[in-house]
Amino acid sequence: MNPYDLINSLSGLLILTSLLVIETKKIRLSAIYYMVQSLVLVLIFLALATIMHAEQLYWWAASAFITKALLVPYILNRAQRLMADAELPKAAVSPSVSLLLAAVSLVISFIVINQLDLKIAAEFRPALAVSVAHFFFGQLCILTQRNLLKQVLGFCLMENGSHLTLALLAHDAPELVEIGIATDAVFGVVIMVVLAVQIYKNLHTLDAASLTSLKG
Amino acid sequence: MYTPYLSWLLLAPVIFSLAIVAVQRLGWRNLLLIEILHLVSISSALVLGLLVLRGVMTQGSVVALNDWLHVDALAAVFLLIVIVVGFLVGVYSIGYIRNDVKSGELSADRVGAYYALFSLFLFTMLLVVTANNIIMMWVAVEATTLGSAFLVGVYGHRSSLEAAWKYVIICTVGVAFGLYGTILVYSDAVNFMQQPGAAILWTEIVKNAKALDPTLLKLAFVFVLIGFGTKAGIFPMHAWLPDAHSEAPSPVSALLSAVLLKCALLVVIRFSIILNQGIGPEFTHNIFLVFGALSVASAALFMFVQRDIKRLLAYSSVENIGLIVLGLGVGGAAGILAALLHAINHSLVKSLMFCTSGNILMKYHTRSWQSEGYVAGCALHQPVADGWGVGAGGFAAFQYLCQQVFDHQRRNPRRTFDFDGSMFAVPGSSFRSLFASDQLGGVWRIAGGRDKR
Repeated sequence: MNPYDLINSLSGLLILTSLLVIETKKIRLSAIYYMVQSLVLVLIFLALATIMHAEQLYWWAASAFITKALLVPYILNRAQRLMADAELPKAAVSPSVSLLLAAVSLVISFIVINQLDLKIAAEFRPALAVSVAHFFFGQLCILTQRNLLKQVLGFCLMENGSHLTLALLAHDAPELVEIGIATDAVFGVVIMVVLAVQIYKNLHTLDAASLTSLKG
Repeated sequence: MYTPYLSWLLLAPVIFSLAIVAVQRLGWRNLLLIEILHLVSISSALVLGLLVLRGVMTQGSVVALNDWLHVDALAAVFLLIVIVVGFLVGVYSIGYIRNDVKSGELSADRVGAYYALFSLFLFTMLLVVTANNIIMMWVAVEATTLGSAFLVGVYGHRSSLEAAWKYVIICTVGVAFGLYGTILVYSDAVNFMQQPGAAILWTEIVKNAKALDPTLLKLAFVFVLIGFGTKAGIFPMHAWLPDAHSEAPSPVSALLSAVLLKCALLVVIRFSIILNQGIGPEFTHNIFLVFGALSVASAALFMFVQRDIKRLLAYSSVENIGLIVLGLGVGGAAGILAALLHAINHSLVKSLMFCTSGNILMKYHTRSWQSEGYVAGCALHQPVADGWGVGAGGFAAFQYLCQQVFDHQRRNPRRTFDFDGSMFAVPGSSFRSLFASDQLGGVWRIAGGRDKR
């Protein structure tokens, strides 16, 4: 198999895992799917490192494994255990509508990426389109899911999408930059989870639709 | 020119933030010690910032950490805002937080966390204005959200937690767009620049801007405007702003409005300079004019229906950011000067107004500017008078900005938009309703002893 095809195929797996993260109701299961997706992302980083002879991508793979495949699912699982009694809010739209919106964002991403003259990632156009679509899947998750922890997972999906774009287009960037982005992402998850726990303790709900006291 | 003060300027707030956390963790519940560390933190930022500014004045620009940090004349304006307003609001925080602890609004356990986060927030904003590495700029803007989220929700009320959640979600989603814009610029620059390390520096990209792909540049700027514009409070990405500003403690509201919005705006300006150098100013100017006008007009309408003084001030911030963006849209030396002058004056006036609202909240326990307590509070609190003093300066900047907008209209008969006086009159009349007919009249009556109520 052509190594570029391998990366493009692996990125296709990201779409499948993203949809599973969004549509699964139980947080524990969603966190597992997210972990699987992060492992796929680590594999893509390793493949890119080998093809492009970019040593820093090995470090990216290592930091992604620690932060995304281990740390984030662990944090989400702990939060879920703290709020085990919480009633799980329904999604704002049905799964079929959600899938339709995901398909639309995927098509738009492919069209936009094909219009751009990106010499640095000419062979990875499908993977690049998937990474951009992945970013929009994360937004879709935040917009359509009312469960606060699912919204945190939406942020994680967005972050995975932008991380893959970064690896495809800016893998030459200094390691310190990647460390900064990864640290921001982990702190982002920690802060959102702490806020979600505080909201649950004070308001006894995980439903974003019930946060409506501030208007106008 | 290299200066060690630039690195220390960033290190000092982090060191003192960690020191405050250590004091709290060690169980030394000495409020005075924490306050002293906080004062040293904001004072050191002020002094080191002034030393950096002196370097800029004598050398033109200063750098540190292999050019990853860079302060030029443009950044100097924003650095001045961060250190001066950061120091003044930091000093004001001490009395405000003491009062909150005394009234039971804030538990004593949280005071250390408040001051540690305050210094951390200051550090993230300093990093935004001094960053020369464009991806680090994004990291810094993202870090400002994470650094200030707990400050917004520090009271733990239903409304403050709701505001903190919306703030984090909207800003992280919004700012993520900014990362895409940043990556597009970098990936294009790295194609023709020999060293990838140089392609990530804003100063190097600007020098080579003409070689960048125009389509990619335009797309990147749209992403940048959505991303960092969310943080800057530009309409329609401003949704987080009224909630976060109104529910945060007043000193934090002052920092958010007076400093944070300007920091994000600086990043937008930085990217617009790349575009102006690469493809000419028409594209950015038109976008600035559209979003500036929309921000002013929409904020004006929202201001009319506000009864909460802090929400009113928050919408006023959206309007003022719109005015600054309009100035940038007019462009040229005069337009940019007007925009920067208005940015400085808005920072000073708005931080003072938020602190005044805090004083009234402490004394009269109301945020409704239609309550009698609020009227009496205005009369009794000297900062309002001070606010009017600074406000006069702000109005001069505002007048200059309006003049530039109208001159621009006269110079460009085939303009994209029509500007007329009504655009400025609407927000003006919203504020007039606050200060003139009932409220300010009441203030003067009470202050002059003519109100017998």
